[in-house]
Amino acid sequence: MNPKKPLEPTRREWTKAAGMAAAGVAAAGTLESCSQPARLQAWAPVSIYRAASYSEELYGLVRRIIAEHALDVRGKRVVLKPNLVEFDAHTVINTNPKLVHAALEAFRAAGAADVRIAEGPGHRRVTLDLADAGGYFATVPNFESLFTDLNLDETTKVDFVRPLSKLKSLYLPNTVLGCDLLVSMPKLKTHHWAGATLSMKNLFGVVPGGVYGWPKNVLHWAGIPHCIADLHALFPKTFAIVDGIVGMEGNGPIQGTPRTAGVVVAGTSPVSVDATCCRIMGLDPARIGYLQLTAGVQNLGEELIPQHGERIDSVATNFALLPELAGLRLSR
Amino acid sequence: MLYSEDLLGRQNADGGWSYFRGGSWTEPTCYALLALAASGTGHAAEVRRGMSWLQRCQRADGGFAPRESVQESTWVTALTLLLPPDTQGFDRRRAEAWTVDQTGRESGWVFRLRLWMLGADSSGESMSFDGWPWYPGAAAWVGPTALSVLALQKLAKRGEPANRSDLKKRIDQGVGYLLARRCHDGGWNHGSTRSLGYDSDSYPETTGLALLALHGVDDPKVTEGLARGEQQLAVCPSSEGVSWLRMGLGAHGRARLTPAAGIAGDGAKAPAAPRGVMEIALAALADSAHAGKNPFLDL
Repeated sequence: MNPKKPLEPTRREWTKAAGMAAAGVAAAGTLESCSQPARLQAWAPVSIYRAASYSEELYGLVRRIIAEHALDVRGKRVVLKPNLVEFDAHTVINTNPKLVHAALEAFRAAGAADVRIAEGPGHRRVTLDLADAGGYFATVPNFESLFTDLNLDETTKVDFVRPLSKLKSLYLPNTVLGCDLLVSMPKLKTHHWAGATLSMKNLFGVVPGGVYGWPKNVLHWAGIPHCIADLHALFPKTFAIVDGIVGMEGNGPIQGTPRTAGVVVAGTSPVSVDATCCRIMGLDPARIGYLQLTAGVQNLGEELIPQHGERIDSVATNFALLPELAGLRLSR
Repeated sequence: MLYSEDLLGRQNADGGWSYFRGGSWTEPTCYALLALAASGTGHAAEVRRGMSWLQRCQRADGGFAPRESVQESTWVTALTLLLPPDTQGFDRRRAEAWTVDQTGRESGWVFRLRLWMLGADSSGESMSFDGWPWYPGAAAWVGPTALSVLALQKLAKRGEPANRSDLKKRIDQGVGYLLARRCHDGGWNHGSTRSLGYDSDSYPETTGLALLALHGVDDPKVTEGLARGEQQLAVCPSSEGVSWLRMGLGAHGRARLTPAAGIAGDGAKAPAAPRGVMEIALAALADSAHAGKNPFLDL
């Protein structure tokens, strides 16, 4: 998909690192392993662009991002995976449909053979009603024909090779297993359990409720950060576009407060995108469990993540944290 | 009648039903069969084909998989027990035994010992009752608990259970679980009523389902739940939500609105027309309940 992609750990490298990490969970409140992945030279670059609102300018912005990362999607099947959780008119829980539609148009313009929108919400069973309430029907023409409810999709059993979590396998939707590029499109939010919910945590939505229920509670019992890391390993062909125009702070991912950050963050490495988003929210990525497990603390340094567009410190805004998560605050 | 024709037109070649399109799943197949049985118009051949497909999803442990290709029995087993006896062709005793045996993982002594060792409070009301999980090994939630209670109540009403005291105990536990998992606004959501000190709101579909399972329960909490359900019904834009609320309220003698009268209140968006098999079947079941025969309770 991206021949120039530099130094994102390959699945084999990740599996090796994951196996080592699974051997032990370290002290000092981290999920570091005794032997972390080898130190990287650099991650794939991350784009940080200002976007003041959900305006028509997003259409040009996403096209620019696709070109900047040299994504060749000609003739490919692309699946856009927004974050649809619940709807509350008083706050901003879900990925804004305008950004998703901008991505749909941009990937079509880039020559993708098929672009679908797909999601499997974790609490509400009637996904189309949730999407309607969230403005998807009003914003995306022919939304229903473009949408796949991942909770109810055809599934295939996938075995984890060396899982970090307690799971040995998962049934997963064929729509995401069969695509050439999965585009994870989360909202920039704090999360009351995981610290932050971004492009990697967004993959919980691919686990089918039709098999595991609403919520997908097997993931909680198997270890949230560990399952995030395992799902990340299963989908190496993932591009991340984060809706940070208006995010959520405090008691995210559902009951928090809207917080304007005015950014769109994107890249071919979900790890580096999520680490960058953490810094933008004022969280230390090295203290986020799933990032520790996936990359190793020593590989999460800001200097290892090349950036296009804005500098982190020019767009960073400290998101409010629950008292329980105060220890995640980044020292600037 | 129209719903029945729609359902028959959506039956897969293998005899089962999908949610929208594609392969057959146990859940929509059970609701479609229940709706066809409630329609009272026969369709014996189609029902036989549906039952034949359903039999293939029963696993060696007695439970049912959510679809043929999944090698795990889940909460959908309770749905098969809701089907009328004359439409069944599977091992009901083993399905019943599997359902009775299921509890949320938080009910286990290992988990409670762990909470005790961590100094956490496990004595709260919400932790005092054994509900049912969606998937074995996970915690109990409102949806599968309500459906399992309905299934076991139906078995008890028919005088079928192999072990009546065990069945009654589980029904009582399930009812207790539902009463304990009510949201601050009086209704029910998926089962998480409060997190990190913040209250969660209820949903129309789970409020309707919980009220249905709590039919005949005389408790102030149910009265408050009914009031919340009526509020939700007045503004619910979801076909599935409306159907569950109609059945839940109707089970307590509180449903007064017919679908033809229009359900949305002032300024509210009218509920969407039923789209997939679930919504069509549930609309048919709600109509049947409104006409005096609630298939979850009476068939």
